[in-house]
Amino acid sequence: MTLALTGHAVARGIAIGQCHLAERNELEIGEYRIEPGEVDQEIQRFRSALTSAREQLEHLAGQVSQDSGATASEIIQVHIQMLADSSIREAPEQGIREDLFNAEWALQTQLEKILAEFRHMTDEYIRSRGEDVVQVVRLVQRKLSEGSEGKEFSNIPDRLADTLVIAHELTPGELAGLHERGVAGVITEHGSPYSHTAILASSLGIPAVFGVRMAQSLIREGELLILDGRLGVVYANPDDAFINHYHDIQRITSGFRKSLENIRSLPSNSLDGEIIELQANAEREDELGLAVDIPADGIGLYRTEFLYLRGEAPNEETQLAEYSTALKRLSGLPLTIRTMDLGADKTNDALDFNLLRSSINPALGLRAIRLCLRDTNLFKTQLRAILRASAHGKVKCLIPMLTSVNEILMVKSLMQEAREELTLEGYPFDQSMLLGGMIEVPAAALAIEDLGQHLDFLSVGTNDLLQYALAADRVDEQVAHLLDPLHPGVVRLLQHIFNASDSLRIPVTVCGEMAGDRRYTRLLLALGLRSFSMHPGRILEVKQVVTETHIPRAAAALLHWLNLGNERHHTPLLRLLDQSQTSH
Amino acid sequence: MIEKEANIINKLGLHARAASKLVNCASSYSSAVWLKRGDREVNGKSIMGVLTLAASQGTTLLIRTDGKDEQEAMDGLQQLINERFGEGE
Repeated sequence: MTLALTGHAVARGIAIGQCHLAERNELEIGEYRIEPGEVDQEIQRFRSALTSAREQLEHLAGQVSQDSGATASEIIQVHIQMLADSSIREAPEQGIREDLFNAEWALQTQLEKILAEFRHMTDEYIRSRGEDVVQVVRLVQRKLSEGSEGKEFSNIPDRLADTLVIAHELTPGELAGLHERGVAGVITEHGSPYSHTAILASSLGIPAVFGVRMAQSLIREGELLILDGRLGVVYANPDDAFINHYHDIQRITSGFRKSLENIRSLPSNSLDGEIIELQANAEREDELGLAVDIPADGIGLYRTEFLYLRGEAPNEETQLAEYSTALKRLSGLPLTIRTMDLGADKTNDALDFNLLRSSINPALGLRAIRLCLRDTNLFKTQLRAILRASAHGKVKCLIPMLTSVNEILMVKSLMQEAREELTLEGYPFDQSMLLGGMIEVPAAALAIEDLGQHLDFLSVGTNDLLQYALAADRVDEQVAHLLDPLHPGVVRLLQHIFNASDSLRIPVTVCGEMAGDRRYTRLLLALGLRSFSMHPGRILEVKQVVTETHIPRAAAALLHWLNLGNERHHTPLLRLLDQSQTSH
Repeated sequence: MIEKEANIINKLGLHARAASKLVNCASSYSSAVWLKRGDREVNGKSIMGVLTLAASQGTTLLIRTDGKDEQEAMDGLQQLINERFGEGE
């Protein structure tokens, strides 16, 4: 019988093969005092362990950079620098010389000191870098312990082709070692999807699932495994239907990139002939260039926070120069400039937003348009710059995080002031520049009929909308599993937004992560969305789904799902949508 | 000795890989390099030190360089930070 185990999806890709359980050589750290006469010898032993650890890491860095470029070797570079840091290199020598600790003990004492410092850090990410320090110190300790000859695992064969390795946990160095032996995929019982080992797996293209609890006890040596790195699932002992299904997927992915190139020049029409607009989220030069090359239908989201994070708030001329450069790069494509969306996770020490940081719950605090309406001088400067840019190309203005009609009226009155000023000063601008609003607040989503009347277009920020609708903090990984775009409440909320804007006859775009995730393209089409905005690198993937979707059939399947009642919870929506395309 | 402020503008802040590049850059000069955030000052050539600054996007750092090539060191560090550590974000 097939056993399915779940963990964190770490690195995309599918691996099928025999499983091998990695047995770790337990490190025994002997702690003892040495004789004063042995100090020099002990220091020598410590230094040669450091050298040998560094050589191993440098060898790995060389190996991986040939395979996968910069990211992977940079991660190992961090470990090499830690080895060279005075806190690892010099402090233990002091312990050997002054306290007569043996090298292992001196290193261990120093490790505890460093970790205590890391544990003090409030930043979750930095705190977790303590893991890297432990991994580096363990490597040196292995080099010091002669018995195991520095080997991390006691039983890894030289060739791992078609083999999936299950380990308790893995360091980046160990993963690189497995990669060198041709491992097909890796599974760990512990380890976060944000760890360096996870990043390395992804950049080396090794399908990986981490955090599969008790995998080493539940799966037997030599069993056939399928690892699905996109879903974070491992199937042990799968039946033939499963294996065939996954062999098909493997075949498809190898031809996937090629198939995308084939549709580049085709129009993005659905099977039933609807024209779907595919825009890009872009602000950097290379992203704008990519958007033009794809080609995208325009820039659906041009973020401006970067201007404010450079230090001082940018003046009108600086902003105008940035916007004009972007417009020039776009050679005629429309540019949707979103006004400053600072606050919450994007703060800036340099700007004097005193109120901003005092908030306990910044995602619900004074951010985005709320902040702009508090500091209207700052905001009007941006509105003036955007208006002036509209004389240089097709510009739309987008207001983030609207909650109420009042906010829109305030924006409009400031916009009117800016127009009057510019007219008096003799600056040209587009009199009919469109004004749009971002729908991220659930109450605003439910009140589209009220807000929409005052706006020319809408853009749905699904990342924040999900966070607020599901009451799950985007940056807290402990509640990440709740951020489910397929939650029936979220699906209904989106349905309401699209239906209501359709009745009002105002265009609506989705610019959140969901828009660029091809798994959700068919759902969004079924819900009535006709315009998407995403990272330009995703446009072809999404276009492919568009060209393979018959929207009325998908919409019927969605309606069926919404009316299922008790059965809904057990009926996977995405599969239902896919089946709707073939069952006719 | 020269002192200059710098804003961390890249999206991920001084995370491990950015910190690593900064340490590499600082170490390529003979001058001493110090980074200060609030009350905390660390050696710019120490990866542990730079990491424990926990400088996220939007943080202002005070950079201090002292030595023969202090101006080159300051320029090099400023450039690296302003180019967002070469991050594609």
